[in-house]
Amino acid sequence: MKLDLSEPLRYLGVRGEPDPGLYAEMSAVADRLTQTVTPRWVWRVFHVKHMFDGEGLTGTGLVLTGEMARKMLADCSQAVLLACTLGAGFETLLRAEQARSMARAAMLDVCGSAWVEAGCDEAEQEISARYPGLYLTDRFSPGYGDLPLVLQTEICALLDAQRRLGVQVTDSLLMNPTKSVTAVIGLSDRPQPARIRGCGFCNLRESCQYRKEGKTCGA
Amino acid sequence: MELDFLYDGIVILDGAMGTVLQQKGLPPGGKPELLNFTQPDLLRSVYREYIDAGSNIIYANTFGASAPKLASTGHSVDEVVSAAIAIAKEAAAGTDAGGPSLGLRPNDRSDSLPTAVALDMGPLGELLEPLGTLPFERAYEWFKEVAVAGEKAGADLAVIETMTDLYEAKAALLAVKENTNLPVFVTMSFEQNGRTFTGCTIASMARTLEGLGADAIGLNCSLGPDLLAPLLKELCENTRLPVIAKPNAGLPDPATGAYDMNPEDFVQALAPCLDVGVTIFGGCCGTSPEYIRALSKALEDKMPAPRTYWSTGFVCSAMTPCALDGVRVIGERVNPTGKKRFQQALLENDLDYILDVAVQQEDAGADILDVNVGFPGVDEVAMLPRVVKKIQSAVSLPLQLDSSNPDALEAGLRVYNGKAAVNSVNGERAVLDRILPIVKKYGASVVGLCLDERGIPQTAEGRVAIARRILDAALSYGIPAEDVWIDCLTLTVSAQQEQAQETLKAVRMVREELGLQVVLGVSNISFGLPNRPLVTQNFLIQAMAAGLTLPIINPNQRDMMDAVAAFKVLSGEDAGSRDYIARFADAAPAAKTAPAAPGKGLTLEDAIIRGLEGDAGRLAKEALQSQDELSLVEGRLIPALDKVGEDYEAGRAFLPQLLSAAQAAQAVFDVIKASIAEKGGAPVKKGKFAIATVKGDIHDIGKNIVRTVMENYGYEAVDLGRDVPPEVIVGTVKEQNIGLVGLSALMTTTLPAMEETIKQLKALPDPPAVWVGGAVVTPEYAKEMGADYYAKDARQSVEIARKVFGA
Repeated sequence: MKLDLSEPLRYLGVRGEPDPGLYAEMSAVADRLTQTVTPRWVWRVFHVKHMFDGEGLTGTGLVLTGEMARKMLADCSQAVLLACTLGAGFETLLRAEQARSMARAAMLDVCGSAWVEAGCDEAEQEISARYPGLYLTDRFSPGYGDLPLVLQTEICALLDAQRRLGVQVTDSLLMNPTKSVTAVIGLSDRPQPARIRGCGFCNLRESCQYRKEGKTCGA
Repeated sequence: MELDFLYDGIVILDGAMGTVLQQKGLPPGGKPELLNFTQPDLLRSVYREYIDAGSNIIYANTFGASAPKLASTGHSVDEVVSAAIAIAKEAAAGTDAGGPSLGLRPNDRSDSLPTAVALDMGPLGELLEPLGTLPFERAYEWFKEVAVAGEKAGADLAVIETMTDLYEAKAALLAVKENTNLPVFVTMSFEQNGRTFTGCTIASMARTLEGLGADAIGLNCSLGPDLLAPLLKELCENTRLPVIAKPNAGLPDPATGAYDMNPEDFVQALAPCLDVGVTIFGGCCGTSPEYIRALSKALEDKMPAPRTYWSTGFVCSAMTPCALDGVRVIGERVNPTGKKRFQQALLENDLDYILDVAVQQEDAGADILDVNVGFPGVDEVAMLPRVVKKIQSAVSLPLQLDSSNPDALEAGLRVYNGKAAVNSVNGERAVLDRILPIVKKYGASVVGLCLDERGIPQTAEGRVAIARRILDAALSYGIPAEDVWIDCLTLTVSAQQEQAQETLKAVRMVREELGLQVVLGVSNISFGLPNRPLVTQNFLIQAMAAGLTLPIINPNQRDMMDAVAAFKVLSGEDAGSRDYIARFADAAPAAKTAPAAPGKGLTLEDAIIRGLEGDAGRLAKEALQSQDELSLVEGRLIPALDKVGEDYEAGRAFLPQLLSAAQAAQAVFDVIKASIAEKGGAPVKKGKFAIATVKGDIHDIGKNIVRTVMENYGYEAVDLGRDVPPEVIVGTVKEQNIGLVGLSALMTTTLPAMEETIKQLKALPDPPAVWVGGAVVTPEYAKEMGADYYAKDARQSVEIARKVFGA
């Protein structure tokens, strides 16, 4: 697994070629992160029942409501629930780094965000390998588009994420450790187009600096 | 070895409850505790199946019966626990646990005992500080409620299980031990890398929990017996207690959720753990009565294997075990004695400064940190636990709590995560009787000073006699010899020259005759002499040669650490000189590339803009010779920070550069603070603001970034932390008369808490200005919520402070 620095640099607002000093320091931070913290994940496959009020996961009582889930899972008979985390180790590293250097802590923070996404990518590879005949949709997460954030709690409960990953969902629906992601991925027997890229699906679209300048972040 | 207090043979526990219930048709993800009311017959039948399969102890259905987990059920802890224990006891009534007496009911010595019923205590489901926001003390209260209810309901013992945070396990264990007479088992869940999710190691777990008085410890859940076996071996080597293995039936298949080991595979992998010393066996997720039946059959005629315990001096945090099998450096810098800046930090409650001092020593290579916060005007009983928590939030080294106040020591040991050391006791009977029980209760190590009410003996023999007395007293309180460290006392060689040799002789005698760890505060030796480091280093080397194992020194002095590194090569501790070579391999190129002369022409402004902390501090010191503190701040530091701020706004510089400049400014402020502290004047402060992440939100790096930058503009921060309720923010504003409050929220779900906080603040008779920020906050939403200002970043926050404070 590799951490692509272009992502965390983008999170810091760096556009174009980064200053070599900044790039070097960022690389050092990223190296230390990837050497000491490994993303961990769990996933489980469920059958999908297309229902009137949403996409039901058979045998669980969980219904994925909203347009996004409907669109994403339209062609899918199964869906994967995924949880991925950098764990408490990252939080400890970040607290220690804040005591040493706030500048490096800010770099570590954005590298962590990219690293947990890299973990999700790796989990997708694992899923693909396990289901060679099936195609994966884009992964989508509670809180994005119109998939309710409140599903976070149920997804973590179904995956037994507290016991198996040490991930807890707070009353205000935040995950702790903070660098944690839950996601849904559809499995289909037809190739799946990319569907949810772009500002229309992003919850930060109102405050996004790129968007104000008429640009996009590229994600 | 005395392992027979619990049993003489092998004990069989039960298997999974949840797995069996799901097999019987219950959907996953529900609250099994409610079945105590809705389906008691079903639970009773599961217990009976386990008893029939051979379980000597069954776990009652109370895993999640704690207040936070029952919050939404409408049932109290007492109701759930009473019902659950009653059902389990009904199932156990009239049964014969057979085989060995479990020794769980000391008053009942009959040979035939019914199966024992355990109160099962699982994690609270909320993360404790510093990882989460749940205070240790609150966790303790919640566990206490469960434990008391369990004993009242008639449980035979308590089991604390599936813990991944040693701190939470400690809270639970203390709650059981302090409020009930139940025997108590503790099992934790480890990953294949030998750590829990929170980074706890096997050795840290074993020695901390044994020290705290657990009756048996072990591993449960997370892995199958094959992967748990090497960890169980390590566990057995690190404890004298009976060891428990309660693994999963292998690993779950992501496609089906089914575990991959059948009863035969499970037993085949688990039974060999008997040979490394495990004597208490059971199953966790994926196991059922079939597994327990097979297990109990396989172990039927087996006897416990002999154990090999590694007896060694040891201290630890949860993440960092520190076995004392060589020289270990104790860092001495967290101590106000003779340090004006540190004293000021204590009086102003500036825990960040104290943390900085601790972090520096960790980076310099210390193994253990001494922590002393005793100073006139400081409430040590309140301060020591606060400082312990603060240091443990970011530094993973074990700590040595240094105080003569027994209440402060107890308060500190209570909130410490791991096995700590206490500095110190001496040969006075009253001191020993007051402090040793506390050391024993919390399983700490203790430093004994070779002095008593008659002072310091002038001969080595006299000091060793006191050491012997301290050892005997410790043993009489049940503290093992390996936890007793002796300080032979360093006296100043310029005042009492012959004493240097007496001290070295005492070191040798304590090592050879008593076999104990030896401590010395080394630097005292050279007081009053020129070129002190040379004398100190020489004494350190001689003392290590005589047998000193725990030098208390300033690890930031490279000469001292170099001497330790060299000593470890010569003593053979540093195998292949690996650490020594690494230490100097790093240093060599640095020496070549170091700038020849400190940048001629480098101005203070340049140093700040380029984020050169060291240069900024040095240049500030020079500048203070020709200008006063205030004009340095206003005329040079702030304009330099503004320059970086403008570049940041224009997209020419980025967050890390803004923060590096802020750090360089911090170095300048440190020089200014020190200079003012020397003169005894009032600190430069331009206005006080409070800042917090609102209730329900746990993201705090954004808030911390804003705080750092603002502080380095000279504003005084009252940082209330994260997940802060509106009342706390309002209370602080009233108490401290604060004119500006910053609130941060990162999630849409926590915006209502932000709005509520603003509402309460604005209801004050003299409301403060409020500014808000965070990923999901927009200028429009800020206005709607009633905030006075919106800031998109740290830079804009500074502009707001300027407007509000007019400076």
